[in-house]
Amino acid sequence: MDGSSKNIQFSWGKRRSKGGAKMDTQFYGSFTFDNVKYSLYDCVYLFKHGEPEPYIGKILKIWEQNQAKKVKILWFFSPDEIRSYLSGPVMEKEIFLASGDGTGLADINPLEALAGKCTVVCISKDERNRQPTPREQAVADYIFYRFFDVGNCTLSDQVPEKIGGLEVNDLLNPKDEQVTSYTCQDVQGVDQKLGVGLVAPLPQSAVKMDNENLVTAVIPPMSDAIPLPPAVKEDDKAKAAAVSLPPAVKEDGKAKVAVAPLPPAVKEGVPKPTQNIPKRTEKDYSEKMPSKKLKLSQDLTSQSMAPVPDVKVRPGPLEPLTRQAVDRSKWFTPLPWDEELLAADEGGRLVYIQNLDIQFGASDIVELIHEALQQSCIARPINHPTYDDPNNGKAYAVFRSKKAADAAILKINSGLVVGGRPLYCSKGLLKVPKSSGALVGHLTITNQRMGQRQREEQKKAVSTSHCSQPNTIEYDLALDWMLVREKQTRKFSILHKKHKEERKSFAAKIGK
Amino acid sequence: MATSDEQAEKEYADFEARVKRTIYIDHLSPLVTSQVIKAALSQCASVASVEFIVNYTIQYDIPAAALVELEDESQAKAAVDLMRDFPFIIGGMPRPVRAMHAKPEMFRDRPSWPGLKMEIHWVTEGDPEYDGMNKLKRLAKRQDAENMALVKNQLEEEKELAMQQQESLDESYKKYNMLEDIVRNGKIDNLARHYDMNLTHD
Repeated sequence: MDGSSKNIQFSWGKRRSKGGAKMDTQFYGSFTFDNVKYSLYDCVYLFKHGEPEPYIGKILKIWEQNQAKKVKILWFFSPDEIRSYLSGPVMEKEIFLASGDGTGLADINPLEALAGKCTVVCISKDERNRQPTPREQAVADYIFYRFFDVGNCTLSDQVPEKIGGLEVNDLLNPKDEQVTSYTCQDVQGVDQKLGVGLVAPLPQSAVKMDNENLVTAVIPPMSDAIPLPPAVKEDDKAKAAAVSLPPAVKEDGKAKVAVAPLPPAVKEGVPKPTQNIPKRTEKDYSEKMPSKKLKLSQDLTSQSMAPVPDVKVRPGPLEPLTRQAVDRSKWFTPLPWDEELLAADEGGRLVYIQNLDIQFGASDIVELIHEALQQSCIARPINHPTYDDPNNGKAYAVFRSKKAADAAILKINSGLVVGGRPLYCSKGLLKVPKSSGALVGHLTITNQRMGQRQREEQKKAVSTSHCSQPNTIEYDLALDWMLVREKQTRKFSILHKKHKEERKSFAAKIGK
Repeated sequence: MATSDEQAEKEYADFEARVKRTIYIDHLSPLVTSQVIKAALSQCASVASVEFIVNYTIQYDIPAAALVELEDESQAKAAVDLMRDFPFIIGGMPRPVRAMHAKPEMFRDRPSWPGLKMEIHWVTEGDPEYDGMNKLKRLAKRQDAENMALVKNQLEEEKELAMQQQESLDESYKKYNMLEDIVRNGKIDNLARHYDMNLTHD
């Protein structure tokens, strides 16, 4: 699945100097990739193949050499990555900027590995750092004020003079208040490209965020202007979400679409694998992909071009980005769902939930998981209309990581009750036998003496359909079947009714 | 926001309209494709779309099923009535298919029901309801097992019926074949003479 790099929009922005031994390297100050504008010192996401969580970095350099577009990224560490060196409390949304010298400080990556922008605000009290406004801090995706020296593996809140050969001033907050460029222009008019997918979920997710726990954390006056959760729930396309935001934004007057309640405490239960710092170098960066399409793309070294996946497959990596209960169920068409199930099962992320109310739709289940567990997932009800008991709704939920899935199972089984129904769940895909190919009851005539033409006709017979006529043998046989079926239907409905009564009386007995 | 609620309601209303036009067909052969279904139903309705139900939960070999969206509600009614009164056979004989009106819960990607209220409740050990809830869980599991047992029972019944029919069909076929042979190669005349019967050839 390569060759689709042609489909992703790209254009260079500001040119800077030329360099390189043979003067064949052109440095740039900015570029637009997939309709998102990136500039020097912007904070970006990158995905590693197979990792559910993206890495966050700052663009230090941008250049093109020999047709290859590269960026040098200075890394941020998440609390989990440096857990063993951390002591004391960690702030909400806090990350740590790499400093010092050594492996793990910065890496060169193909530009195509970028998966979007984010806002990281520095809240260090150092005089060189422009102090952010409370609003900036609240709307930012992440904050940092501490630095992790990769050379001696120490944490410090002292701002170093230089990092990676650059003056630290450039790496702290930009002088003018960040008007995030996730404006509607970028977002509108783009269909399913990364830009929208990426950017819109941020505001969309923010908006979708349920009021309770998180909006309280959000000070801004914007909260009035924010079209609250219901607004975004129904939006089928991320685009629509972005469009619903402008009204809010307009009221406010600022183009700050990166609205409010963001990453916060959703970090729980989704820890990134703690890594040794050296691991970061020489990594192959490509879009993380649960779906088959990217799994087919081969490994790359950091030198070669990242195979850019099909645009429509992009929504995949965006899941962890949002970290919110974005209505991802709407992004699925039947095919990716089945593949998603297999992939999730392999990764231990698939949970089979039972005893739901059969009225719950996919988005209801996603919302339920989100409210009850503060986890985001993709879910779908899977009852079979003919055979499954309508008293017991079943669904598959795919979580972002194995840990999240395990945690969810523990919690749900420990005592989650929804509308008087205690839910229970287990891990993994149910083993369903493959269809045997022909229907039981479709009879064949074993016949040696069939002419060639007759044989062909019989083959074609699979596609002929008709209403059976009373003067044929077939009619009698068909009636037999109808009789059996009618009996079956009645048996099932009796059983299901009985179940319903049982449940009601039981619930009454235990006084619920 | 008011508009989003309205939007949700509208979406659900659209969905309900779709449900009314859709029929659920099961006891389908797994060999049947959407083309076949479209052709089959063209006698009484025009098919807008066909969605096959994927079996995720029943651990037996079950017939296929599909949600078929037709042009409008009246066509749906006509189709269901037809298939209820007459054995309608799609792709393979003699087992007919079954059709019924679709219900919202059959659609796996249904939109959220606007009036849905989700009350989430955590129950832990020590709570008065803890035991009760656990018992309810066990009840649910038992009911599911009962259901599966019935499914298995039904499938076995079907297999038996199929076998019976196949046998009797084979017998009938042999009989008719034999008759045909005899007539063809003239032995029937000998037989007639032997039994002192008159054969009139017409």
